[in-house]
Amino acid sequence: MSNPTKSQILVVEDETHLAEGLKLNLELNGYDVMIAADGNSALENWKEWQPDLIVLDIMLPGIDGLSVLRNIRLEDERIPILILSARGDPNDRVKGFSYGVDDYLAKPFNLDEFLLRVERLLTRGAWSQKGSDSKGNSISSLPRFYKFGGNSIDFQTLKAHGPSGEIRLTEQEARLLRLFIANRGKPLSRRKLLEIGWGYARGTTTRTVDNFIVRLRKYFERNPKKPVYFKSLRSVGYVFGHDPDQDG
Amino acid sequence: MSQSKWFLHPILIFISSIVAVALSLTLYIYWYVEVRTGLKSVLERANLDPDQVLTSHTWMVILVLSILVGIILMGIFIIFVYNQKTLQLFRLQHNFINNFTHELKTPVTSLKLYLETFRKYELTREDQLRYIEYMVQDADRLTHNINRILDLAKIESKTYEGKLVREDLVREVERFYEKNRHIFDGCEIHIHNPSGRSFLYRISHSLFEILLMNLFTNAIKYNESEIPCLDITFEPKGRGLHIRFEDNGIGLPQSEFRKVFKKFYQIGRSDDMSAKGTGLGLHLVENIARFHKGKMMAESKGKGKGSVFSLILPLKNLRLERKEGSDE
Repeated sequence: MSNPTKSQILVVEDETHLAEGLKLNLELNGYDVMIAADGNSALENWKEWQPDLIVLDIMLPGIDGLSVLRNIRLEDERIPILILSARGDPNDRVKGFSYGVDDYLAKPFNLDEFLLRVERLLTRGAWSQKGSDSKGNSISSLPRFYKFGGNSIDFQTLKAHGPSGEIRLTEQEARLLRLFIANRGKPLSRRKLLEIGWGYARGTTTRTVDNFIVRLRKYFERNPKKPVYFKSLRSVGYVFGHDPDQDG
Repeated sequence: MSQSKWFLHPILIFISSIVAVALSLTLYIYWYVEVRTGLKSVLERANLDPDQVLTSHTWMVILVLSILVGIILMGIFIIFVYNQKTLQLFRLQHNFINNFTHELKTPVTSLKLYLETFRKYELTREDQLRYIEYMVQDADRLTHNINRILDLAKIESKTYEGKLVREDLVREVERFYEKNRHIFDGCEIHIHNPSGRSFLYRISHSLFEILLMNLFTNAIKYNESEIPCLDITFEPKGRGLHIRFEDNGIGLPQSEFRKVFKKFYQIGRSDDMSAKGTGLGLHLVENIARFHKGKMMAESKGKGKGSVFSLILPLKNLRLERKEGSDE
């Protein structure tokens, strides 16, 4: 599909002029570039094409850039991501960095600065890539094992232990669990769960989320009718919580 | 602002200060009466004529106190109302800055990007022309956005000077669509006039065009259907003419029917950046409708089920003529 020596960059930008201008410049600098015009295709391309770097706009139709970022960071902590956004005040930057972005550039930006930052991010990305065995084997920030209450989860083999015994988790269940663990104690709305956990845009029914929660409760709650870990918040969504000191 | 403590909430402060003032009024009166009766009994014991010392000021005092407290209450109320208004404006402005930042910065970013590219690289003439075309479009977009703010300012300050011309509205809409067909490529736009009549109305050409442009682009922009459709229907109804702009777009919840016409208002929250656009389009539309003595109405069957924006013009200003009569 592409020259293996060329670095691959995914540009997520819905403004066609900007996207093409970025593509033009990056290609002139010897990179392989793909454009995604919305959040959904960004996630698709990220999975299929496995780029070395993602340039991400925040205001996107469908799933917004920050949700795309969080979605990716659930699975891959390593891939360098550069946010390119019209919103450049400190609050927005802090928000971006707290979700795990590597670099943040406000629009309008300086072309040379942008290209140099891209180059630097790719160089550093290559260093950390050397450490891991293969490109596809991406690593999440979460440890392989996770314990709460009497439950334990092994994210690599997708096996878990709960009150009802051994459970085999599906990929999607594991994903949702990671999302909950990464946001422990923070309420997550059904919409955000769909966007980040599934990569669905608005308009998809939120019943899907509820069904999954029912399943997770069946796996890990002693009494699924009275949940301790996966609690519902009225008119907000769900919150996952437990005391780490107590449970170990 | 949302992080402020609950006890700093303006409504709470407002209520507690009213309670405090009302309470102090009753206490003033209560104490006054008590002290007075106490004094009276002392005077009686001293065998003095109470009426001589205490001339009947009681009601006077209560009246003056009540008036003063009333003024204080009114003051609090006015301050409260103004405070609420300022807060609301502040929120709207914040929204506006967020959205307009995007609208203004995007074309500028694109322009700058291409200019820097041209400075940095030698491109072929073919490529150059292509990107120059982009730059022209970006400059147009920027102009368009700036003009929108200026138009709004003009209409709002009522200094808009445009000639009012009597036009057939059906033909006006058709003409507009013909002229701008290229913008709405790939969309299904139909104009229906079931009554077959022509509707003459005094309009300002430039303003009416802004109104149509906003309604047309909204129908297409906020649309996730494969083929965006827009149906424009002319319906004489009761004492007015309803021009319905019906689309198959994303629709809107009932709670937003009125709000969408507010200045700077955007459906979607600015914090998760799902809002896009300037929040001025429909506000401008409503102002133009009012300028033409009409009004705007929004309806929708719900999210994802399309929406209908109706321009309602009063019929008394409207000349109804048979189609044959107006064909010349």
